This record gives sequence, C-alpha cells and structure tokens, in this order.
Amino acid sequence: MRISVMSQMQRSFSIDLPSLIPLQLPSRRHVPHPTFWLIGFEAYLLSQTEKDGVDQMRGDELKKNALLARTLVRTTVARYQTNKEVDPRSLMFKKNVYGKPEVDWQNCKNCNHQPLHFNISHTDSLIACGVTVHVPVGIDVEDKERKIKHDVLAFAKRFYSADEVNFLATIPDPEAQRKEFIKLWTLKEAYVKALGKGFSAAPFNTFTIQSIPGTEEGYSLCKTSEVTADPLEETKKCNGEWKFAPLELADSHYAAVCIEDDQANEGAPMRVIVRKTIPFVEDQLISERIFL
Amino acid sequence: MASLSATSLSFKAPSIQSTRISQVLRKASTFQSISFGRFQSSKSLRLQISCAAKPETVQKVSDIVKEQLALSADTALTAESKFSALGADSLDTVEIVMALEEKFNISVEEADAQNITTIQEAADLIEDLVQKKPAA
Repeated sequence: MRISVMSQMQRSFSIDLPSLIPLQLPSRRHVPHPTFWLIGFEAYLLSQTEKDGVDQMRGDELKKNALLARTLVRTTVARYQTNKEVDPRSLMFKKNVYGKPEVDWQNCKNCNHQPLHFNISHTDSLIACGVTVHVPVGIDVEDKERKIKHDVLAFAKRFYSADEVNFLATIPDPEAQRKEFIKLWTLKEAYVKALGKGFSAAPFNTFTIQSIPGTEEGYSLCKTSEVTADPLEETKKCNGEWKFAPLELADSHYAAVCIEDDQANEGAPMRVIVRKTIPFVEDQLISERIFL
Repeated sequence: MASLSATSLSFKAPSIQSTRISQVLRKASTFQSISFGRFQSSKSLRLQISCAAKPETVQKVSDIVKEQLALSADTALTAESKFSALGADSLDTVEIVMALEEKFNISVEEADAQNITTIQEAADLIEDLVQKKPAA
C-alpha cells in the first residue's frame, strides 16, 4: 500500500501557461519515512470540506487518490502566486453556479487576487491539474489502455456527433479506433469542463472536435446544428474561440487541455508546460510545447 | 400502462425537494382521471414521480455499476452509493447510462443522465422511463 502511494504520487502532473512564474518549493524536510509524512502533511493541508469529501470515497485507494488530488490543486495554485509564497492551506475554494470548482480569492487571507483558473482530472494512477491565467481551462486524462465495455462505434453513435462517428468509422483497426475514441473523449470532456456549465450545457453530440488539416496536433471545435435531422445538411459553425492541446503523459495516458481563447490573445498559439510533481518533494519539467 | 398506485406513495427520494413531493401529492388524487396519453404529452406534468424503485431494479442497477467499475463481487453497494465515491469518472457514468438503456430498453436524455449520481437515482429514473413507454 505504501508503494502504491508513491507511484501514484510520481504520476501527478501540473500543466500551466508561460506567464506564470513558478516559485521555489518549500525546502524538503527531513523525515524518517517520506510516505507517512506525505500522507500526514496532505491531510494537514486540506479543509474540513475536502476531508469530508475524501472520507466519502469508498475504499483506501480512492481515498488516497482524492487526498492527492486536493493536495495537488492546493500546492499547484499556491505556487503560482506572484510576489510572495502562499500557504496552500489558506486557499479557499467555491463552486460556480454550475458546480465547477474555482478559487475563492475574496475569502482567502494573504492571497493576492490573481486571475488564475484551474481544472483537475484523474484516473487510478495519474492526477493532472492545469492552471491558466485569465482564461478558463478544462483538462481530462484517461488511461490509454482503458477498455470500453461497449462497441466503440455504437457508443460513438449514441453520444458523439455525426462527423466524429464518420471519422471513427474510417479507422479499420479496432485498437486504433478505440484509442482515437479515447483521445476524442478527452478533448470533448476538456471542452465541457473548460466551459464550466455542466454536461448538459454542451451535450457531446452538439459539437464536433476535429483535427485541423495539415497539422498533426491541431484541433478545432465546430458546433453542429441540432435543428436539421438530416446529417448531410448539418450546418456547422466553427470558431477559433477554443484551443486544444492533446498530450500523452507518462506513456500511459492521453490527456487534453482546452482553453478559451482570450480576446487579447486572439490567434496566439498556446504554450503548454508539463511538469511532473510530487508536492513538496519533487518537481521536474517534462515538456514545453506550442499548440496552434 | 400507468401503474402509479396512488395509495402507496412511499417516497424514498432524498434528492427530491419537498416542493416537488407536495406537487405530486396534490396531483395524485386526480391522476387516475388523466388519460395516459395526455399525461405523457404534457412536459410540465413530467415531474420525476420517483417512488422508491423496486428492489430488483436497484439490484440490477447495482450489478451494472459493479461490472462497469470492476468492483469486487462482495463490494457493499447501497442504494445511496454515489458513483463518484465508487471511483466512476465521466466516461464510466456514460457507459453505465448506456448499459442501463440497453438493459431496460429505455432512452435517457442528457439532462436526466447528468442528474443521476447514485444507484437509487438511476433506479428511480429507469422505472419512471419504463413506466412512460407507450404500452406495447
């Protein structure tokens, strides 16, 4: 059980944009057994609400995961305070009217109000927290090997847009098809989470995310018209308001980051920095890339 | 065939606010005089009349959830178990909804699918939808 905590810890990432200045992490304290210290420290960081949330999880693995997720959020957001170091414990969180978690700057003592946005996603073995400045962000991660219990195309026909179904249908190899399905899932989920209005505000079959021709990793969002019953007549409104970055993390996970294009930044490429983090212990730059 | 028995309204619906319950109770007395067809077509009457779902429905939902989330057979699930507390992510929830649609031969709308967070809620919604299907 201890070993699994550490491996879970080693698989947590933070993703952020370049204008954030990372602060030095607090110095590592000497402890006899890092695992115990980490667990104790994490609980110390959390608010009562968060601890209750952790307790609600059924089973030790899930509890640990929930604990790590909250720790990652707090420590990551706290790192990106400019001017001074903020105690991760002092951060306050709230939910927007649709239930999306966000930082409650007003109620945070000693915080400078920052236009920071974050979003989090996790699987059994990896937790990702994305932080942006000024623009909403959504992030989703999925295990690459995740098996879909249903037939992939049947599943897509039920939930995805017609264009996406057509795209998946052109992939002859079932394994490749499953992988593309999952990649598309992370992109769509990242968009809905960036939007922050709940799943029903943007049902999956009302928008298409497709790759931009001529690019390897560029994706764009097109809204499909719900009115026409005939898929051939489907009108689409494609806009550049949402930017996507598909990623592979730790060779084991697909991830997608979605941000709303800031008016001021319109058209500017998105720079995504990926770090591998063990809160208070380790921080390693993994990659820094541009997405158009 | 509408099988709402107005005599035994045993509401076990923690997610339903008290205003809804009182509305349903008021309508219950006139229910039997409303034809099934008219009831169905009126969206405003489509309140979630969630009487406690039958135990067998709850059991079937539990089985599907256990399978989707790969829980061990002896995992104790209660009707109040939340999907998220069992480790379900969004993809799991959607797969569960799809499995429920197949099992019960129903169609769940996005908005309803979003509101299912526990086994009880899923079972209640299923029975509601099954009840509303046109008589075979």
